[in-house]
Amino acid sequence: MIGKSEVMTTLRMMQEENLDVRTVTMGINLNDCRRDDIAETARAIKEKIAQRCGRLVAVCDDLNVEYGLQIVNKRLAVSPVSILLEGRQKEDALEIAKALDSAAESVGIDLIGGFSALVHKGMTPAERMLIESLPEVLSSTQRVCASVNVGTTKAGMNVDAINLVSKAILDIAEATSDNSGFGAAKIVVFANIPEDSPFMAGAYLGAGEPECVINVGVSGPGVVARAVERLKLENPDCTLDDIAEEVKHTAFRVTRAGELIGREVAKRLSVVFGVVDLSLAPTPRVGDSVGEIYQAMGIKRLGAPGTTAAVALLNDAVKKGGAFASSSVGGLSGAFIPVMEDHALSAAVENGDLTIEKLEAMTAVCSVGLDMILMPGDIRPELISGIIMDEAAIGIINRKTTAVRIIPVPGGKVGDKVDFGGLFGSGTIVQVNCPGGAEEFVRRGGRIPAPLQSLGN
Amino acid sequence: MTEKAKYVVSVMVSDRPGIMRGITSAITDMGANIDDISQTVVEGYFSVILTATFDSECEPKAIEAAIESNFGVGELSIIVQACSEMAKPAPVVDGEVYMMIVVGDDKPGILKKTTGFLADRSINIEDWASCFDGGSVSYIGKITVPRGVDVRQLQIDLKRELIDLGMNASIRHENIFRATNEVGPIKSLLR
Repeated sequence: MIGKSEVMTTLRMMQEENLDVRTVTMGINLNDCRRDDIAETARAIKEKIAQRCGRLVAVCDDLNVEYGLQIVNKRLAVSPVSILLEGRQKEDALEIAKALDSAAESVGIDLIGGFSALVHKGMTPAERMLIESLPEVLSSTQRVCASVNVGTTKAGMNVDAINLVSKAILDIAEATSDNSGFGAAKIVVFANIPEDSPFMAGAYLGAGEPECVINVGVSGPGVVARAVERLKLENPDCTLDDIAEEVKHTAFRVTRAGELIGREVAKRLSVVFGVVDLSLAPTPRVGDSVGEIYQAMGIKRLGAPGTTAAVALLNDAVKKGGAFASSSVGGLSGAFIPVMEDHALSAAVENGDLTIEKLEAMTAVCSVGLDMILMPGDIRPELISGIIMDEAAIGIINRKTTAVRIIPVPGGKVGDKVDFGGLFGSGTIVQVNCPGGAEEFVRRGGRIPAPLQSLGN
Repeated sequence: MTEKAKYVVSVMVSDRPGIMRGITSAITDMGANIDDISQTVVEGYFSVILTATFDSECEPKAIEAAIESNFGVGELSIIVQACSEMAKPAPVVDGEVYMMIVVGDDKPGILKKTTGFLADRSINIEDWASCFDGGSVSYIGKITVPRGVDVRQLQIDLKRELIDLGMNASIRHENIFRATNEVGPIKSLLR
């Protein structure tokens, strides 16, 4: 039998430290749903999602009971909708979005990603149309999530696309002003977007992916934070390499739990298993925060010098533990810093310790980017473009994924508080230190060429 | 040619160094091969059960005497029986392996109620262990739940059964514990 202490350790992780599977996401390729008539296309989309995903929620619920491990979210990621829109009209975008919304609802899914366009090197008319349709789509649907990839290390950065999407973000916020611009929380702007990430709002099914696949996102910031706290209790003088070792071992356990669930779901649905995304994804709950891990390490005020190093330590240790745990690691895999979704980060932003500029530095060494940050409603599109360009530059040069999910709050001023509820959390509107002055650079548009790092062959 | 004979031996003795040597050397010196063996220690009491194959039939009393000769007078309790064909292989229950964990303040009646609950549902206990911490106890049981049993209902019924004793109980598939504690490929855990 497994040792008593091992059994009790796993039980403690599940019962007291919020170990869960953050998301089981089914990827479905919808490219074969295209028909001459848009209504027929919508019907084909609904039928395929119902046929492929009809049992996903029930299977996850069964596993929840059998393993006692909570599967927090069951989600869908589809192939880029821009492909279905080639040669179509703008109103067709809304038709397809509503079909996705309705299909997701019918199978009990709360979010469906893939209303996406990959425009890092250029835009087709359909991709432009998709971006322009986002204000109407994200304000008229409940479950649809969008993403736009504006840069890659191989292709460089498409600044024209960034300027287009920045304007769309402001329009989305305005179109959802009755809910403090919440629509903007459902779009992520990426550089080096992963094709297999299960996490929303940025999940989509990439071109190299199977017809249908199960990807799993594991979490467990609470487990990691408690492990670090226990280590300090046992050894108050523990060094940073001791902490890294502890995080690594904990990430191993967390990843293995995720792969087990993912493979079981895939098997029961007769679908291919894809990857475990071993990201530490917080929720607004106390005890489920990435910020708490940094605090446990000794960063009492998040944002103080040393914070970026703590992020780097955590991100690296998580990857090392996960990489040994599973040969199927993919997606974003690292530590997220979504401000609104993490009570400790949110509090640090509110009290001014953690600025957007410091968060940007942290994104250079963690898995994503400036995520879930509230900004004043009157910011100019050039400012959003500049923020996206800076983030994309970090990703492109460092050969990593970066992303921006900022929410301009219509009518909102710096210091105002906004609460979206649930997993989206709450936060305070903040501003960058220098909100103007780069307009001329941004408006030039065009592309920033691929960096030298792209010439790797 | 005489037929080989298999015996099961159970010994209980106050724990000290050298017990295993005393038992195994007695059996080996009788020309037998030890086939399987399991030992545990509970609060200072050592207990071992083993099976051994002898070249020919012999009297259980002779095996007992050989083992006792390596120990002090009255030091151990011993039972030796010829192995029954009926006790051979095949899992007692065809089903899935789960871990049952019962946690709470120690008091009389927990085990009686818990094991009764399992027996009433033909759930076999494969292994059982306990951890005591001050006044609280954790029982960890490896159990086989017969196919077809509604695990969701089982969880509800178990909690209800033990709530009067103030115990918190859960049943979770063994694989979640193996996955988080072993290093082999996850695929090997799935049927």
